[in-house]
Amino acid sequence: MSDLSTPNSTAQLDTGSSIAARAFSKLERFFGEERFFLVLSVFIGIYAGLAVVCFRLAIDWTHLALLGPVPRAHSWRLLAAPSIAGLVIAVLVIHYFPTIRGSGVNQTKAALYIFNGYIPFRTAIGKFICAALAIGTGHSLGPEDPSLQIGASLASALGHQLQLSRQKLRLIAPVGAAAGLAAAFNAPISAVLFVIEEVIGRWSAGILGSVVLSAVSSVVIVRGFLGSEPLFRIPVTTFKRPAELIAYIVLGIVGGLAAVVFAKGIGWLRPILKALPRWTQYLQPGLAGLLIGFIGYLGFPQVMSAGYNFMDQAMHGQYSWRLLAALAALKILATTLSFVSGTPGGMFAPTLFIGAMLGGAVGGIEHIFFPHLTGSTGTYVLVGMGVLFAGFLRAPLTSVFMVLEVSGNYEIIVPVIVANTFAYVVSRSLQPTAIFDLLTRQDGLILPSLEEEREESILRVEDAMLPPPAVILNSADYIDAAAQRAQASSQAIFPVRMQTTGWSTISRDLLERLMKEGKGEHTLGSLISHHPLPFLYPDLPLESALRYVNHVPLVPVVNRADSRRLEGLITRDSVFSRYQSRQSA
Amino acid sequence: MGPSFRVFSGNIALRHMSILSNQLIPRSAPAVLLYLALGAVAAFAAVDHLVSRFHANVQSRGRRLYAQGVADLNGGNLEAAVEDFRAALTCDPANPQYQLSLGRALRDTGHLDEAESYLLALWQRTPEDGTINLALGRVAARRGSVDDAIRYYHNAMYGIWSSDPDGSRRKARLELIDFLLQKDSLAQAQSEILALAALLPPDPTLHFEAAQLFSRAQDYADALYQYEQVLRLDRANIAAMAAAGDTAYHLGHYRTAQRYLQEAARLNPQDSHSRQLLPQANLILDSDPFVRRISDAERNRRIVAAFRGAGQRLTACAQSKGLNLSASPDMDPVLSGLEARWSDMKKQLPRLHSSIEADLPDTIMDLVFQIEQQTASDCGSPQGMDQALLLISRDREAADQ
Repeated sequence: MSDLSTPNSTAQLDTGSSIAARAFSKLERFFGEERFFLVLSVFIGIYAGLAVVCFRLAIDWTHLALLGPVPRAHSWRLLAAPSIAGLVIAVLVIHYFPTIRGSGVNQTKAALYIFNGYIPFRTAIGKFICAALAIGTGHSLGPEDPSLQIGASLASALGHQLQLSRQKLRLIAPVGAAAGLAAAFNAPISAVLFVIEEVIGRWSAGILGSVVLSAVSSVVIVRGFLGSEPLFRIPVTTFKRPAELIAYIVLGIVGGLAAVVFAKGIGWLRPILKALPRWTQYLQPGLAGLLIGFIGYLGFPQVMSAGYNFMDQAMHGQYSWRLLAALAALKILATTLSFVSGTPGGMFAPTLFIGAMLGGAVGGIEHIFFPHLTGSTGTYVLVGMGVLFAGFLRAPLTSVFMVLEVSGNYEIIVPVIVANTFAYVVSRSLQPTAIFDLLTRQDGLILPSLEEEREESILRVEDAMLPPPAVILNSADYIDAAAQRAQASSQAIFPVRMQTTGWSTISRDLLERLMKEGKGEHTLGSLISHHPLPFLYPDLPLESALRYVNHVPLVPVVNRADSRRLEGLITRDSVFSRYQSRQSA
Repeated sequence: MGPSFRVFSGNIALRHMSILSNQLIPRSAPAVLLYLALGAVAAFAAVDHLVSRFHANVQSRGRRLYAQGVADLNGGNLEAAVEDFRAALTCDPANPQYQLSLGRALRDTGHLDEAESYLLALWQRTPEDGTINLALGRVAARRGSVDDAIRYYHNAMYGIWSSDPDGSRRKARLELIDFLLQKDSLAQAQSEILALAALLPPDPTLHFEAAQLFSRAQDYADALYQYEQVLRLDRANIAAMAAAGDTAYHLGHYRTAQRYLQEAARLNPQDSHSRQLLPQANLILDSDPFVRRISDAERNRRIVAAFRGAGQRLTACAQSKGLNLSASPDMDPVLSGLEARWSDMKKQLPRLHSSIEADLPDTIMDLVFQIEQQTASDCGSPQGMDQALLLISRDREAADQ
């Protein structure tokens, strides 16, 4: 202690602390909000990954404790576990966690667009407990969407604790959502695409980096704890003859129809059950559980819970096409019951299950009629998964990447794309509103939809621009020459091409006034304003013209390759009349 | 209330804090990230502990289920074993032992696709493992896929075995041979048996097994050699003695057959097969005029006896068909032709003792063999002397070819 009080040691300490302070200060300057947010995304991924690991353990533990490792038909547990769990879940949801009903995708999207990215932390806790109980006891729901909401809720809570700016707070929930989903499905690319397609609802380059970072870090965490084994043992998948695409087109059409039945069933039954007296809501999850348990008891325990191990067996030809078809139909019924009863849980896994079984069934039937088809059962099951994903969840891009990421096989990309496209088109034409949008609207919310945005035609500058005028002046022109040309024209305002770059305008009145003032031998460039006019390109959205048309009488539209070449003109009237004509159309 | 931070101008500054003193509060982005990192480390440790406990618990349950599956398997209840192994694997999905057992049980219950997928997943991790290759070989064998079976069985033979490598490799080869024999791939089977026999230790049981496989592959010469190997190692091996006699008899080595059959019948009076075969071998040896080290007189005696026997057989065969060959030769021109030739030849019999007619013994025996073959074809398998003559004729033909 005495040494520390000597002048030398004090000076050394001062020097050391000043170095540390300088380093710290540099570090602080390094972390602007953008960089901080990126690093924060990694931590969100880590925390979401850890939460999802715990969530999966909770589901597995509940399943093992209450249903046993492999549920067997005719066991009383199949009836008791989901129905009693349903009653408990109903009490928890109604009294403690009213925001956790449903899958969690809509709620996360609503948080992004309506609540400034805010999701109460209580939601994560409630979702964790209730979804684990529901899925673990055999309700026909999956763990992916709840994981998405848990991740989003964790991220939102963190953002609020750190009092991030409103803009970042809005973005942080999707970052957490991507982390949660990626961890649950062990597929970071699909998770990122799904969050962009279904949660954010529009392509946004600003958030992409954070979403990818969080998704990847969460997957690393989950693989570290639970291993990197894929969800399924991927069978040999083959696609040899292009003519066989017809078989996959049939699968796409059947899958599209099944998706419509599934979506319409939920869309029809959910409002009916919601409209029932409040006391019935205490019984709905329990009754749904009892019915699902009864299906399992009768000999179809495969439809209970997420059912990944049964998808795996279907992939390896364990079931006949009749059983596969029955399982697909019963899973639609079971998932509809679970979901509309308000039991918290996801649609992701049931959708894959139905698609897998349907794919296997369609493949089996096709093989009966066309024994020379080379596609294995596993190929049809995999393609079927993507088909229902595209048709029901209406996330076509995610559906393709999901199958590729899960199978690790690019050989089947063509059948996947073809079948998914047909499923999407069939579903889109018979059920115009996608399931998540339908559910949101049933809850009285209107949220942006990438699907609708995709089909919306955007007005561009070229749609409203007027053709280039006959008289275009140059800044090197003399006033008298310009006035002569102006006299021969009916234009009131003339665009002027400036000497090196840029554009300006001059009115007929000003030209005449300059002539009267005896400035005919001056050039236009020496007299008119040197403040260049703003200009536009033909491909820009028309809304970009709105910034200028109130301040300048006309806005030049120039060629991107040569800004001195005039393609047309935009005026306030031309913009508004274009919008009006679209409105009336 | 916990600490709260606000991001602005590139810094995260403290806004409100009620529990900790200002000295301890992080005021900047690096400090916040440090806190997050520390929190992550703590959460990581907690989750790690949780996962370890969970896995230990579940693995213990998996071991119980696996033991139940093994018991079911030993009790012959394959379907229950599949369910148990599947349940065990649910508890411990990465356990290779469970995967292997499930793969085998699935194969034995006929679920070949799923069995193969489990086994292939294991194979991709350890392609040199003999046990996995053997299991895959058995799947291929059940499918009837000769190429795949050969590939996997060969992998098993040259793969790594944790215990008794020589015995395991031999077992794998024996299974492959058995499969090839079932598929009638005799040439491939013979080459595998040759490879097997070349590596056999001096164990009479193993040589006996190899000899039996050679017999099944219709390679009687090598089979006889293996039986003789057995007898060299175990002179009192009655089964090998009888089998050697039988094999030598099939090879036409009647003298050798006689020796082994005599010994087999002596050692095991209950061996009816050897006792039945021995008189036949004796008869052949006593009837064959072409055996060496007999006198001309004895050879001529055998030829005459064979000729008379053939004539009687011809007459009996014609009578059994209701034919009178002399009266109506057109009824069966072949038998009538033989009868005519036999009658002509009968006239030449006295010249058999003449040294001028050197080709006559062969000519007579050719006719005898033709009569025996034709009557065997028309009137069924002969017995006694005729059977002996028929076998001699076949051996002669084989020797000529």
